[in-house]
Amino acid sequence: MTSFQVPGWGYVLMAVGFAAFIALLIAYIVVNRGFKRPVFASPYVLWIIVFTVIPCLLVAYFSFTDPAGNFTLDNFKSFWDANYNTRKGIDPALLQQYQDMGLSLDDLGLGRNPINIDTLVFSLWMAFLCTAICLLLGYPAAHIMADREFRLGPTLVVLFVVPMWMNFLLRTIALMSIMEDGGLINTVLNWLGFGPAKLLNTTAAVQVGMVYNFLPFMVFPIYNVLNKMDYQLSEAAMDLGCNKWKIFYKVTLPLSIPGVVSGITMVFMPAVTTFYISRLLGGGKVQLFGDLIEAKFLSTSLNEWNVGSALSLVMMVLILLSLGLLQKADPKGEGGGII
Amino acid sequence: MVENEHLIDLKHICKNYDGVTVLDDINLYIRKKEFVTLLGPSGCGKTTTLRIIGGFETPTSGEVLFEGSEISQLPPYKRRVNTVFQKYALFPHLNVHDNIAFGLKIKKMAKGEIDKRVDAMLELVNLKGYGKRRVDALSGGQQQRVAIARSLVNEPEVLLLDEPLGALDLKLRKGMQLELKRMQQHLGITFLYVTHDQEEALTMSDTIVVMREGKILQIGDPKHIYDEPANAFVADFIGESNILRGTMVRDELVRFAGREFPCVDFGFGENVPVDVVVRPEDVMLVGEDVGQIVGTIRSVLFKGVHYEMMIDCGETTFKVHSTTMQPQGSRVGLSIVPFNIHIMKPMATAQAQEEAAAT
Repeated sequence: MTSFQVPGWGYVLMAVGFAAFIALLIAYIVVNRGFKRPVFASPYVLWIIVFTVIPCLLVAYFSFTDPAGNFTLDNFKSFWDANYNTRKGIDPALLQQYQDMGLSLDDLGLGRNPINIDTLVFSLWMAFLCTAICLLLGYPAAHIMADREFRLGPTLVVLFVVPMWMNFLLRTIALMSIMEDGGLINTVLNWLGFGPAKLLNTTAAVQVGMVYNFLPFMVFPIYNVLNKMDYQLSEAAMDLGCNKWKIFYKVTLPLSIPGVVSGITMVFMPAVTTFYISRLLGGGKVQLFGDLIEAKFLSTSLNEWNVGSALSLVMMVLILLSLGLLQKADPKGEGGGII
Repeated sequence: MVENEHLIDLKHICKNYDGVTVLDDINLYIRKKEFVTLLGPSGCGKTTTLRIIGGFETPTSGEVLFEGSEISQLPPYKRRVNTVFQKYALFPHLNVHDNIAFGLKIKKMAKGEIDKRVDAMLELVNLKGYGKRRVDALSGGQQQRVAIARSLVNEPEVLLLDEPLGALDLKLRKGMQLELKRMQQHLGITFLYVTHDQEEALTMSDTIVVMREGKILQIGDPKHIYDEPANAFVADFIGESNILRGTMVRDELVRFAGREFPCVDFGFGENVPVDVVVRPEDVMLVGEDVGQIVGTIRSVLFKGVHYEMMIDCGETTFKVHSTTMQPQGSRVGLSIVPFNIHIMKPMATAQAQEEAAAT
């Protein structure tokens, strides 16, 4: 059974995209009477069109259509109320009969199901918490690593990088075995007499996994900014009357804001979209918005791709909005931001 | 000189980095309202000396006295000195006004008073109306002025300047030299200036301290340093020189370049090896028949104000500056008046010449 067939419009969209690209390329060559340097950028432009622009347009297309390819807003209604499609599939006359018998939609289990919204809010909260913890842990770490007088600084940088060479899934699984009932932490707790604690499959476990995985993305942008900072600036501040603490909040902190902004972006975005961490460490008991979207796309029912696309679109818009806000704080992209 | 006129005294200052001696027994005093320049090639320890006074380095041994009290362990923010850094070190997140106001704000001065002082400073450094500009939108010369204003506004007892004009072009540098001197005289503040540019040092200073390899070679006013260099290195570093090996035959008579010259120095003893320094502009070109020695012009270079000629006289080659040109290959007579022959005890002359050749 095919789960879904790409509607005709999808192919049209792709074809139009390709045609537009080729046309632009030819137009460019004609106008410039030959190959100039920007022509060499064309493979990348093509890559972006095929693997970024067209998929984004397809997601948008799916979220506003039903499986037959007709325009509809039902997918967004499903986002608001997860029972919307189920209710729609039931004969209205039958529903009326039940209601006449005095049974409300809630009694039938068909009332508004806010799980999508709730999960989104929960995901945003988890991502916010993760970003905040990463910032609180990462800023001091970056500051210590960038300290010119701290000789172990470069070693620390390497120690932060090395775990990133390992597959993050593997790292998360390792974390899982550390936190499980017979794992390292519980063994130590047992030995100390604090009894086995339920660590795995909790919200806290998911949060720990998120912080663990995303902390380097906070540390490095901040480290880069602090490391590049002219040390004479702090000497100048000291010369003009600042003690160490005043140097920090009058000079170092304001100048490291671009790195902080970049770090926040790089932690918040993957944190809000993650699904494997919650799956592995939450054991299905902790569901994030990413899990929800993944489930929709893995589902075999007919219109779930469309609903999943609508959920993705909502999240994309949210991320774009927050990115836009963050860019205002770092207009020159000094922190080496990603957009 | 009485001790209590000294503002800063450095006594037996030594500084080692990982076993490498950077400063070796530096003794120096700075008087009030004096313009003192530390002059020397890079790596001579002049910047380290400045940083020790500024509080950014602590000496390995020795004392730093400020008006008689020991300050070598005091952090920079507790010292009544301010520094103008080599690369300005302006705060990029603050505009010109806020950069200059930085130190006053730390001291929690009233806003009205801060604005008044900052405006006065902007006027002093010829940047009136620039308060709202971003510092990275300024030219190098303007940034330099902001850096100076940022330090001066705190009314330090001593202003430390670490090669502040190094990044400016020649014309701007000359203008700023005069302006710095004007400010120093106008404000009556002591300046301690670090440079490797001997011309800059001669133009601005009341006192020049010539340093080399962590040691002070000579302290004196510019004219004294130029006219009476203590040794061949100073002579070579300050201005251009012919440094020759010679023998002091007896008082007021020296032998070099194959013949004897009358001079004005005495007290070296008889038949003692010495270094002889003759400034290129002090060698006069005269007729072949009246010169003390005769030479052939090997090369002629036009240098703007004068011609620089290399003249071979037997084994010795003289560098001569003259406003009149003699054609290459012609034979000329050379004459040096006794007053312009400087005799000094030999100090690794060969080494000094090697370095001169390398630069």
